[in-house]
Amino acid sequence: MSAYTAFVRSGFLTSLAYRSEVWANIFGKLVQVFARVAIWLAVYAGVTAVDGISIGDMITYALLGGVVMGATRYDRIIRHVGTALKTGDVAVWLLKPVHYPLYLLSIEAGASAYTFLLAVVPTIVIVALVYGMHPPASLFHGVMFAAYCGLSFIIHFLCAAIFGVLAFWLMTIFSLEWLLQSLISLLSGLLIPFWFFPEPFGSIASHQPLAWLVYYPSAVWLGRLDIGQTLLYFGFGIAWAGLLTLALTLLWRRAASRITVHGG
Amino acid sequence: MTPLIEARGVSKRFRQHKRFPGLLGAFKTLVTTEYTEVTAVNDISFDIAAGEAVGYLGPNGAGKSTMIKMMTGILVPSDGTLSVLGRTPHLERMANARQIGVVFGQRSQLWWDLPLIDSFTLHQRIYDIPLTRYQDNLKRFSELLDLKPFLDRAVRQLSLGQRMRAEIVMSLLHDPKILFLDEPTIGLDVVAKDAVRRFLAEINRERGVTIILTTHDLQDIETICPRLIMVDHAKLIFDGQLGKLRSALGSARRLTLEFATDPGPVVLSTATLTNDDGLIKHYLLEREEVSLVQILSEVGSTRDLKDVALHEPNIEEVIRTFYQRRNTASATTP
Ligand SMILES: Nc1ncnc2c1ncn2[C@@H]1O[C@H](COP(=O)(O)OP(=O)(O)OP(=O)(O)O)[C@@H](O)[C@H]1O
Ligand SMILES: [Mg+2]
Repeated sequence: MSAYTAFVRSGFLTSLAYRSEVWANIFGKLVQVFARVAIWLAVYAGVTAVDGISIGDMITYALLGGVVMGATRYDRIIRHVGTALKTGDVAVWLLKPVHYPLYLLSIEAGASAYTFLLAVVPTIVIVALVYGMHPPASLFHGVMFAAYCGLSFIIHFLCAAIFGVLAFWLMTIFSLEWLLQSLISLLSGLLIPFWFFPEPFGSIASHQPLAWLVYYPSAVWLGRLDIGQTLLYFGFGIAWAGLLTLALTLLWRRAASRITVHGG
Repeated sequence: MTPLIEARGVSKRFRQHKRFPGLLGAFKTLVTTEYTEVTAVNDISFDIAAGEAVGYLGPNGAGKSTMIKMMTGILVPSDGTLSVLGRTPHLERMANARQIGVVFGQRSQLWWDLPLIDSFTLHQRIYDIPLTRYQDNLKRFSELLDLKPFLDRAVRQLSLGQRMRAEIVMSLLHDPKILFLDEPTIGLDVVAKDAVRRFLAEINRERGVTIILTTHDLQDIETICPRLIMVDHAKLIFDGQLGKLRSALGSARRLTLEFATDPGPVVLSTATLTNDDGLIKHYLLEREEVSLVQILSEVGSTRDLKDVALHEPNIEEVIRTFYQRRNTASATTP
């Protein structure tokens, strides 16, 4: 395992090498979160609650989206995997006694930790001070929110890595990046929580894996799920993560064997 | 003793989908199932024993990198069997990886954004090198290749020569039994090339690390590798000591005869006249067994011979004439 913890560290340190990006990063995130908050303020103008959800809930929801989606960058992962496969640089990793997907996960964990500490936390603090933010519904919900955040990172990583490996066979890296971006904005709950979706779209949306990126972690914080549901959906999320891991492993094996048999 | 590396009739064929030019061609490319086959390595066999240093030489596209990739396990042979340290490399890639070191002159394995020393510590973690062993190796290698001044510098700020030295040091930190190098001296200046060569020769001699290196630079082979494997158009054309290359490939010696007075045309059966300047005449000696005495006796003592010079071709020349002959031969047989 020690090699992988070393990768986490170097992912963190590599981000540190681009220190100047921190300010751009904070600024970009501030704009995004303020934009989402502004939309909800406009929607709620003159109304105290919609479907039993107050403007305070929605501002908190918008902020939580920034917490869970602010650090991990699907575009960075897709580009990393995609270019390594397309340029053949991945051969270097086939020469080492490490598993490439695990290496990727470790690097990304380090990079995400860096962005989280240096860009996400300051942004959220600033916006929360300006608009106020609800605390978690209970201690249980607060703890489970942290667990859901971990799951969100894993599923986020798996989806992006799968898209990255697909770039080996399909399309350009850029178009896959764009496709995943659209899917995430619509299906993760980042822009609009599923409780505002008309049926049956709400039920469909809340059963696909991207829902665990933003929707479930935020819904748990807000106490929209009771204790039983919180645990149940955590289990579903783990099951999705397992399926996605399987898919990534199979795709990666195919790509690796294609590289070693056909030379890329 | 069983050899460390054993190649038996190894071949590699690449399939490439046919591509058609132009916009319409692009659509045709999408649906076509036609492909062209490129044979990169054709029926090559050799044995390499522990402690050897072997130079793998050949013109561009001869299949050198392909062979290295097969021996390191990142490419699967299409035909034949390959055994490295008793294993089939592509089937046991991970186990193999721990016992070999690989340097690609064209592809960096260092961590671009981190200080050089971080690449080395990561390597220590990846290969699980015992700490004292790692520190000893690092100290020794970085002294030999003079890396100390750059250890704290980010890799992207290193010059090509500094980086290549670092790549070589890293590839040796886990005490590999075999070191594969694909064009390790590419793009280096004379001084850096020399440092790398002397280092590799020393590693091979002192630590008994088996070295296989591809190169276009004969000097590399002269300094590091007593043994030379030469390939051309995917086929093995020579395997043996460098010194034997000339007789194996049979390159012509050059003879210059200088006369005090112009004797007119002098035709010899043992040598071919290539250039007649009157007083000075140049010949080519194509047959290996012809001796200077034979030639002189044929010239005879009646002519006013002033000086004789016989040029043994150097290895560069041998190889150049070999390639040229081969190219003209393949040009005339379509
Ligand atoms: N992945 C691949 N797909 C298709 N053809 C390939 C592939 N890799 C190499 N080839 C072809 O195989 C042949 C040998 O290539 P290789 O890279 O082994 O040559 P080389 O001897 O290393 O040449 P150089 O001195 O230029 O590095 C070339 O004709 C090359 O075009
Ligand atoms: Mg090559």
